[in-house]
Amino acid sequence: MASLVRYVIRRLLFMIPVFLGVAILTFFVGNAAGNPINLIRAGLRNPSPAVLNALEVYYHLDKPVWLRFLYWLWDLIHGNLGVSTSGRPVLSQIGPWTFTTLELQILSLILAVVIGIPVGVFSAKHQYSKSDYAITSLAIFGYSMPTFWLGIMLIIIFSFYLGWLPSNGALSVSYPWWGSWALDPIAHLILPTAVLTYVSLATIVRLVRANMLEVLRQDYILAARASGLSERTVTYRYALRNAISPVVTIIGLGFGAAMAGAPGLETTFSWPGLGYAFTQAALNLDIPLVQGITIIITIMVLVANLITDLVYAVVDPRVTVT
Amino acid sequence: MSQLREAVKLSERQSRRAASQWAVAWRRFRRNKSGVIGCAIVVFFVLVALIGPFLVAYPARSYQSLYEGDAGDPPSFKHPFGVEISGIDVFSETVDAAKNDLYVGLAATLITTVIGVALGALAGYFKGAVSDVLLGVTQMFFVIPTLLLILLFARVFSVLVFKGLGLTLIVLILSFFGWSSIAFIVRGETLRLKDMEFVQAARSLGARSFRLLFRHIVPNILSPVIVIATLDIAGFILTEVVVSFLGFGDPNTSTWGLLLNEGFPYVRTTWWVALFPGLAVVICVLGFNLLGDGLSDALNPRLRE
Amino acid sequence: MDEKILEISNLRTYFFTEAGVVKALDGMSLEVNRGQAVGLVGESGSGKSVTAQSVLRIVPRPGRIVEGSVKFEGEELLTKKEDEMRKLRGRKMAIVFQDPTTSLNPLYTVEKQLVDILMLHRDLTKEDASKQALHLLERVGIQDPERRLKAYPHELSGGMKQRIAIARALSCDPMLLFADEPTTNLDVTIQAQVLELLKQLQKELSMTMVMITHDMGIIADMTERVTVLYAGKVMEVADTSTLFKSPKHPYTEALLKAVPSVKQTRALEVIPGNIPNLISPPTGCVFHPRCRYAKDICVKTEPTLENVDEKHLVACHFWRELSLEGKGR
Repeated sequence: MASLVRYVIRRLLFMIPVFLGVAILTFFVGNAAGNPINLIRAGLRNPSPAVLNALEVYYHLDKPVWLRFLYWLWDLIHGNLGVSTSGRPVLSQIGPWTFTTLELQILSLILAVVIGIPVGVFSAKHQYSKSDYAITSLAIFGYSMPTFWLGIMLIIIFSFYLGWLPSNGALSVSYPWWGSWALDPIAHLILPTAVLTYVSLATIVRLVRANMLEVLRQDYILAARASGLSERTVTYRYALRNAISPVVTIIGLGFGAAMAGAPGLETTFSWPGLGYAFTQAALNLDIPLVQGITIIITIMVLVANLITDLVYAVVDPRVTVT
Repeated sequence: MSQLREAVKLSERQSRRAASQWAVAWRRFRRNKSGVIGCAIVVFFVLVALIGPFLVAYPARSYQSLYEGDAGDPPSFKHPFGVEISGIDVFSETVDAAKNDLYVGLAATLITTVIGVALGALAGYFKGAVSDVLLGVTQMFFVIPTLLLILLFARVFSVLVFKGLGLTLIVLILSFFGWSSIAFIVRGETLRLKDMEFVQAARSLGARSFRLLFRHIVPNILSPVIVIATLDIAGFILTEVVVSFLGFGDPNTSTWGLLLNEGFPYVRTTWWVALFPGLAVVICVLGFNLLGDGLSDALNPRLRE
Repeated sequence: MDEKILEISNLRTYFFTEAGVVKALDGMSLEVNRGQAVGLVGESGSGKSVTAQSVLRIVPRPGRIVEGSVKFEGEELLTKKEDEMRKLRGRKMAIVFQDPTTSLNPLYTVEKQLVDILMLHRDLTKEDASKQALHLLERVGIQDPERRLKAYPHELSGGMKQRIAIARALSCDPMLLFADEPTTNLDVTIQAQVLELLKQLQKELSMTMVMITHDMGIIADMTERVTVLYAGKVMEVADTSTLFKSPKHPYTEALLKAVPSVKQTRALEVIPGNIPNLISPPTGCVFHPRCRYAKDICVKTEPTLENVDEKHLVACHFWRELSLEGKGR
């Protein structure tokens, strides 16, 4: 138990320089985009000199760059993410976006894991069978396509051609899909979730299958069978448990990557989440917003990684020793 | 003592006789159907990239079809993939884009592999602070939301600083964020090999570090590196597609992602603009993935009685 | 006692791989009497491990038992249903594997691995099973067993791990134990201890033991009767002392010559050539490419197992003519 706690603390300590690294990259690159005043000026109509002065002071433009960075960081730590060039504070907008993104990501992740692990195990146990080939082929396709493109294709088929499902947004505006406001969000969720789940599934199935194949080859599995344990016990309690640890890591990393990868899919579905907001902000050079979203996503990814590390440590105790 | 020398000579001869190891791997590879298919697809795309542009009817980024009155036409004999609303012939553009997408994939992979192998090998061999720092840095890159930062960098730099670079800017940015995974693997493999007996034997005979590194260790890490590099090409192409689709790429150079970006707003009516370039991406990336898998099977023999 | 506890006849186990069909066992036979310590000797690739796996019917894919008969206590095993086999595995027969680092599950404590088996076959509660496990560790000579019980395999030394593997195999008092190269991966000093332990346990439990090894020294030390296996076929079968004193098969002679002895003055003789390709094995007598006495008929015709006398069998065309060198013991 103690080693587990120590391990978690070590991971937390590691996250701090990572967070700082991202903060530095984000801030300085964002800063290179230009004087924030000019950017804001582009957003506002005719700011009076008084407003401009106030903004100058607010952004500490009279101070050198590295000092500005520290001010920004200080604000960050206190929860102040700055003000976007549209005038609204960043923090206030992030809440709903975060929820919308997480809604999609977490649902897809859960589905992908729940479906992917048994399918991967099945595929490994029946290696070389027709079903195995079918599953691996489907997986490698899912793995080779841009997620958002699949989204576009499904929109063409299910929204434009068949008209069964909505093609944009998370909620309808005037008329609820399927005639019910309760069902409306679900209708909107179906296509993007399907796309994201399929693509995540592809990776998970491949990984579980590869690891299971590796593990099933091991002596201790042979020994477990030699002891008379049932095939079911050997497969699920022994082999899967051994195969799962790298899968846990990848799921964690994958979650992080998916969060970061949200832009493409969300843009396709006009899904009002963090990815979509980020893309719009970056295109408009709304630097404070960009920085704010990046930081939030980074924090979420780091938290996801910490949780993954914890789960990993519980599954495979060896890792707490190294 | 002479036996020791024999052992070292054997290892060096094995690196040279690696030629016959490759022969074995080649035979294994040929047996692997999907690997061969992947190879065929890759070769096909390379040919398309190199020769295609000379064979297609419309030059790159040409709005000629607009003047021919074909703008927005669905696929036909004249325009196999249809025409964009703006008058760009999708088929010609897709073919033209092949070389650009391949360029991004291959160039980024080349850079990241060279940097990754160099840094990884050095870090794995010369332990100490440098190695740990590298480890930390690679772990950091694993964790951060790279796509977002890539987008940010692409937007900022393309607009403000490096205007003339076009796709090469994307290549550089992708490389900046992409070298760490190879470095991590190479570092791990180097560490593992460094402690193996054949290296210690060579060292005890007076071989110096660089000779050890290049004659003994590097040839043994080539196999995983080749596999990773192949899969990386696939990954970089996919990333480029997303970047260009979102509008962060180079608007003057045709890439499949750019085509998707142009086609998406009008996808309700001109759906072919979204379909065909996307299919090209899928098949091309599939080719590299299959090739990578085939290479992985061929180069990493697993004992089968 | 002359009661046969294990009777294998004409066993063929093939592996259907991408590269071709590997004939790991190609017509192998073995007879073991109750309470005996029997040896199965041969080079790596001769099919020794596959024999044990075939008896327990846990041959890993892509392997399959293609033909033959395996009788345990008079009952045919190859026609039994899977759940019947499972009742026998670990309970009536067990295997100790070669490498304890890979044969113990790295993710579970020693206790869990032992308790799982005890609870499966013996219908004990968890507490009782734990107590049994402790008792088992003491029996295989592990010091400080309470602490070792809670340990993970990677925290233990090679010798200790192998003792635990032995404890696991013996946990339900099997009647038949296959020891598959149990000491090959251990230090020489530990080897002797583990072999001693096996010998002692075999006597204590009146267990039948099949010692699978490539080391003639171990055969001499541990077994009463021995079968020599090459390329999946039986070359010679005899009482251990007879085999050593007057071997009748050239392969046996070569194996014996390869064992160093302190009094030896000439150089060790190496068996020339490599283990045969089991996908396309040599024609006629499988050993002919490496046999110094081979003649034409050896290339053409496969020799059958013939009786030298009631307890000594050999598969060689020229066993009557050859006078082979043994090792006086």
